[in-house]
Order: sequence, then structure tokens, then C-alpha cells
Amino acid sequence: MTRSLAATLLMLAVGVLATPQGKQAPPVPKTPKEAAPIDLTGNWVSVVTEDWRWRMLIPKKGDYTSVPLNPEGRKVADTWDPANLASDGCKAYGAAAIMRVPGRVYITWENDATLRIDTDAGRQTRLLDFDKSAKPPSARTWQGHSSAEWERITQPGGLGVSLQQGPGRPGALKVVTTDMKAGFLRRNGVPYSDDTMMTEYFDRLEAYGTDWMTVFTIVEDPRYLDQPFITSTHFKREPDRSKWMPQPCE
Amino acid sequence: MWRTNLRICTAGQSIATRRLLLVLLIAAGPTFAQIDLSGEWAGTFHEDLQHRGGVRLADYTGLPLNEAGWRKAQSWDEAARSTEERQCIPHVATYAFRGPATLRFTKVIDRVTGELQAYNLDGSYGRPRTIWMDGREHPSDLAPHTWAGFSTGTWERNTFVVETTHIKTGWLLRNGAPTSDMATMREYFTRYGNYLMVATFINDPVYLDEPFIRTTNFVESLLSNADVWGHCGPAQILDELGGRPKGSVPHYLPGQTDHVQEFVSKSGVPPEAARGGAATTYPEYMVKLANPSAMDNRLFPPPVPGKTLPRVASAQMDLTDDIRVLPVQGNVYLLAGAGGNIAVQIGEDGVLLVDTGMDTGAGKVTDKVMAAIRKLSDKPVRFILNTSADPDHMGGNERIAAAGSPAGGGRNGGNQGSGAMVVAHEAVLGAVSAPSGKQSAIPAGAWPTDTYSGDIKEVFFDGEAIQLFHPPAAHTDGDSMMFFRRSDVIATGDIFSTTGYPVIGKGGSINGVIAGLNRIIDITIPKDWQEGGTMVIPGHGRICDEADVVEYRDMVTIIRDRIQDLIRKGMTLEQVKAARPTLEYDPRYGSETGPWTTATFIEAVYRSLADKR
Repeated sequence: MTRSLAATLLMLAVGVLATPQGKQAPPVPKTPKEAAPIDLTGNWVSVVTEDWRWRMLIPKKGDYTSVPLNPEGRKVADTWDPANLASDGCKAYGAAAIMRVPGRVYITWENDATLRIDTDAGRQTRLLDFDKSAKPPSARTWQGHSSAEWERITQPGGLGVSLQQGPGRPGALKVVTTDMKAGFLRRNGVPYSDDTMMTEYFDRLEAYGTDWMTVFTIVEDPRYLDQPFITSTHFKREPDRSKWMPQPCE
Repeated sequence: MWRTNLRICTAGQSIATRRLLLVLLIAAGPTFAQIDLSGEWAGTFHEDLQHRGGVRLADYTGLPLNEAGWRKAQSWDEAARSTEERQCIPHVATYAFRGPATLRFTKVIDRVTGELQAYNLDGSYGRPRTIWMDGREHPSDLAPHTWAGFSTGTWERNTFVVETTHIKTGWLLRNGAPTSDMATMREYFTRYGNYLMVATFINDPVYLDEPFIRTTNFVESLLSNADVWGHCGPAQILDELGGRPKGSVPHYLPGQTDHVQEFVSKSGVPPEAARGGAATTYPEYMVKLANPSAMDNRLFPPPVPGKTLPRVASAQMDLTDDIRVLPVQGNVYLLAGAGGNIAVQIGEDGVLLVDTGMDTGAGKVTDKVMAAIRKLSDKPVRFILNTSADPDHMGGNERIAAAGSPAGGGRNGGNQGSGAMVVAHEAVLGAVSAPSGKQSAIPAGAWPTDTYSGDIKEVFFDGEAIQLFHPPAAHTDGDSMMFFRRSDVIATGDIFSTTGYPVIGKGGSINGVIAGLNRIIDITIPKDWQEGGTMVIPGHGRICDEADVVEYRDMVTIIRDRIQDLIRKGMTLEQVKAARPTLEYDPRYGSETGPWTTATFIEAVYRSLADKR
């Protein structure tokens, strides 16, 4: 390293430390609830403008259009018997599918580190846990174990990028869910296995005077899927729970 | 503005200069406003697949179409795509992300400031879009519309938010589910790791119950290239519908429902749900789906008698406080706000006008028109070409001609007066003048000083050839359309309008209007991808190109065909009106009040066709 380059680097280091931004780092919030860059709480209704035939109606047996099932997954899907629909219980209401089921969701803070999602379809409850030390329950459940974090978009290191590195940008709510019971991606028996891991990004948008929540979902199932199954689902804010229509699955 | 690109120092810069640059960069502060979207993105296609590739006719499930929307969709015949005027139409912005190809985001860097000025967006069978980030405003409502529209973008938190206006009449799905040219779009581009989610909101008061949202997902692509097409223009067009009569428009008449029957039979979707509508997109509609007796499952519910679909298009911008001036192309400008549109050609020889607007008394409007012209040119007005005898098109003739200068008398002694020459079809003179001994309502100073008969008249002015075409018995019996050959602009008069149904006046006919519209389409040549090229100034409304005229011609032709069909079935005028043959076009072009209502239009078409029997 030449002396001039070393001098430059020293100046850079001094410059970085001397910038006002360096002194004005935002205080670290105490709880995930306080740190929330977006407010997801409230009443939301799914507006089914996509995959309507596969969500509002029960698709025919063997119709797994656009789901990247592998041969094993197709084999399992083809064994589904519509005559046993009633006995499918909550299989189509597990975490990997529940946000695609037409219905309403009610989101609240269960405590300072847990976001809670209640659904009227299937009457399910999801707990999104910000506590990274929390362990999954010993038994698998329909909703599995969801680990949550507020995404913060930052640039990986290196001197070049460090020159431009800011404090990062607040992103979405990122949720990784594991430990689910095997279930259905669609009500006609399109399967996901208990090996499934799901990553979701919850975000907020506003358009034409209406609040929206989007959920970008990546379902990875090495047993039944050829590739990650990617969907995005949108919900419109509602003022109250007057249209809540709880429908249990059993 | 955050600065994200670090300039590479050149060999000629001293070490001290480099150091200074770096220190200045640091002093400017962290500049990390944008999350990079540039690169290639491949669609994931894990949802809505059957609405993206090979969508079926009559499948509008999940679309919040209103009554006008589904009726227009049901009348759409896919053969329309094969007509010569539509073969080069790319994916419109309201649909383009649903196309099957890869997207490419490219940064546009201002070479002087180094700022990120815009993103270019290519691929997926859409036209290249530029999303401006330099703070510029959206164009005037009189500016042309394009397939890509006009987009501006800003960053909100982790998301690139894009507003798009000026989109051509288009579609939500490639099965006729429509969007109007009043649709606007708000998009959110959000990166989640290697994925990109695009949430698109489309607001179209003409064809939608409520704003439509859909989300489209992409994955970063390291191995593919966006499919950016080359040229598609008139030279690439084929006759795919051999034997089609000139000007015919493929469409289904109301009640022709084989395509609807086919979809509902194969899919199991009830007809009511197949028509879409906002109510069908909410979870409570599942209750209705479980109870078919509560649904209207007729394949084609006829319009409810007496029910109208109100106009949602904004009020006509014919008369405004200010005269607005927009460059059109070449030497031609549009002056709007004086009643009918005025086209202005400027050059070394002086000023030529197509029409002079309305004179509302005391010359107030005309004075504003003159002031607007003076901003474009200090040369005298030497020619006024009138598209018809309508007072909102020739109302300013007298004052403007008087203030102008002669264009020269010529060997036949035309234009003996001292002002500008006023040229129109001879029927215009017949309409404004009065029989001997009677007083005309139009002052003589406003009358044409030079008329032509037959179907063409030629003028050469300001170094440009100008053709006046006379479409017989169209809007009236004295129409002219002016084609500026060098500027490549045509001023159509009231044969074509973007603000209402065509007015059929004295000596006019619906078939004459359609022939006139087809004549415009013959004259216009799109530059590429069925947009640009020859530009069109309608009698009223915004600047257009051929695609806009095609859309209007199709609408007028479809209405003509419907009324013709009803007349063939022996229906009276009242029965034809009750059948509401214009229904899905009324929110865009209709009117319940004023001198030219929807009912007046239907009556005029009926009489025009019935008289031919």
C-alpha cells in the first residue's frame, strides 16, 4: 500500500467518523413492537383478483395448475378424493396456504415481541415470534413455528460500498415458518409436506385512498415441489370486524 | 439526492484531486436512497397462469369489471387482434407485466450530474417504458397517449412507487377485458432478496367498479435476456383475415353467447361469476357461490330498461378560461379551449389555421386565440381552413380573417378582400349563407372566401403541402379534413372526437362518419408498434394517433352494426333505444344533457340507417 493511499484511507476513516450521520444514529428501539416501521395491525380482507377459480371454488381433482409439483407431489395430489372433502379438516388452512384462503385476518400485538394473526377462514391463529431464542414447540402444528424480524436492507461490506453505506433502509416484516403439519396448498389436495419451510414478507401499500397489505410467500418443500412456490397475496384494510365470518375447520 | 455512483478517477487526475473527490463524497453524506432494481427479472408464473397464457374468452373471474366493462369484454372477438390495424399492438402498460418474457431494468444516469435520472424498463412484449425520477410533471391532458404511458417514480421506504398516466385504451386480460384511456396506474416495485414483487393498482372509472390490484412476481435472472422486440410497423403487417371487407370490425353482437357458454361449461364457473365485478372478489361471495339460485346466471342479461350508465369522463374541455397551446409535430400546434380544436401551422410565409373556434360575443375568445397565436408567430394569418360550418369551429373566422393578410389572389381572382383567405368545402358556404333577400345568422365576414367541390383540394404554404379531403355525407355534408404532409399531422374536424359520440348534422350520416374515420386510418401511418407516426388532431379532445382513431372507429362501427341488426329485426326507434346499443360506451362518450345526448346520437344513427332501407 502506498503512503498516499494510506493517507487517503485515513482521511476516509476520519471522514466517516466525523459525519453528522455517524453521531446521529437512531436509538435502538426496545421492543419489536416499538421498532415496527409499518403498522400491520387491524382488520384486513383478502381481495381475490388472482387465481380466482382456484381459491373461490374448489378446483377439480388433479388440477394443480401453476404449482411446481414434482412427480411425487403430483402422485399425492392425484390420490385426493373429493368425496372425503369434509374429512380433510384443517389441511387446507395450514400456514403454507392460509393467507391464500379467501377470508379476513385480524392482526394484533399479542405482546411486545409477538404479532398475532387471526383468520376467520378456518379460525386459525398464527403467532409471529420476534424472539430469536424461542424454540419451536415439540409437536408440529398447522401453523408451525414462525420466526419474525423487521427486515433492514443494508449493503454487504467492502471499502467501496462502505463509502456509500448509510444506516440501511427499513423493509418489510420477514417471517420464516417451520414445524408445520403436512397440509394442502389448495383445497383439492395439492400437498405440502412437513419438511416445508416458508418465508413471507408482509408489507404495506397505499393506492387510490385505500390501505393494502401484501404478503409475498415462498414455500419450499423438498419432498413435493420442484422449485420454490412463489405467490403474493393482497389484503384491503377494513374499518372493523363487522364482516368477520368465522368458519372453523375440524 | 443520494449519490450512488462513484466516479472512476481518470489517469490524468492527480492523487490530490482523487483525495479531494473522495473527501467531498464523504462530506456529501451517506447516499443510499435507492435499492437497486437494475438487471434482468424472469416471471415466476405460479399464480393466475390461465389469465396470462391463452386466457379463454368470457373468463373475467376476479376482475372488478363494472357493467360497461363486462359488456364491452363480451362483445370482443379475438379476430380483432388479427386486423391490420392491430397486428403490431404490443402489450399495453396495464397488462405488460403479465406477459411471458423477462423484464429488464436499466438505470439512466445523467452524464453531467451523475444522478439517477430514470429507469428504463424493457421486455415482456410491452413497449419500453421510461420511469422518470427527475421530478418532472406529467404531461397535459391534451397530450397523446401511448401503450407504455407516462411514468414517474419515487422511493418510499423499501419500495419504488411509480405513477403512470396517458395510457392508451387497453386491456386487463387478453380476452377483451378492457381498460379505457382514462385509466391510471400506481405500481409498487419491491425487492425481497432475489425476488421482485410488482403490485399494480389500476384505476379506471369507465370500466371498473373499484381500483383493480394484482401482484406479479419475478426472480432475478442471471441467464436470460429481456425479449426486446425489433421493429413492427406497416411493412410487417400481413393480411391475416383475407377477404375481410374494408373497415369491418370483428365483434359479437349482444346476445351472441356461444363463447360465454363454452367457458362456463368447461370451467364450471357460474355465468354471473364469469362476468367479474368487485363483489365477486370478496370472501362473502363464496356464500353466493354455494347458492346458485341467488345468482343471475343468464349468459347475457339484457340491459335493465331505463337504467343508464352515467358518463364518468371529465367535462368537455371545449371552452376554458385559457387557450392552451401544445406542439403536435413539425410546424403544427394545437390550440384548445376555444370550442372546437384549432390547428395552427407556422412558418416563414405566415400562419395557417384549421378552424377558429367559437366566438362567444365581443370577441373575447377570439382575442385569446389571437394572443395564443402571437406567442407562436408574429407573422400574419394568411389562411383559415374550415372543417365544417359549425359555429364552434368557424366562430372566430370574421375577426381573425380581418386581422390577417391576403394570401394572394391568384389568376382566378380569389380572395379579393384584405384579410386572410378562408377556405372550405362549398357546402359550408351553402350552410352559412342565406338565400337572396334573407339575412344569414353568420356574418358575411366569416364566410369562406374560397370553396372547393369534389373530394380534394390542395394548398401549399410554409413549405408544406396540405391536402383537404372531403368525406361525403359524414358529420355534415360540408366536412373537410386537413392533412399536413410534411409535418405528418391530420386535423379531422368533428368526424373524430375523443370527448363524445360523433355528431351527425345536416347532410351527415353514420356510414359517412365511418367512411371518414376509415379514410383517416388510410392516411395515417404509425411509426412503430401502432403508435406515433402521423398525429391526429380531433375536432374535440386530445392529440391522437392512428390507434386512437381505430379505437373510435371500432366503437362507432360496432354501434352502427348493432342498430342495423335491430332495424333488421324490425325494431322501432323506441325499441332500439330501449335495447341500449351504446351502453358500455356511455360512461366514456355518452351524455344525458346538452345539445348532443346519447339518445340524440342513437336517433340520428337509426334514422340514418332506416332511411337507407
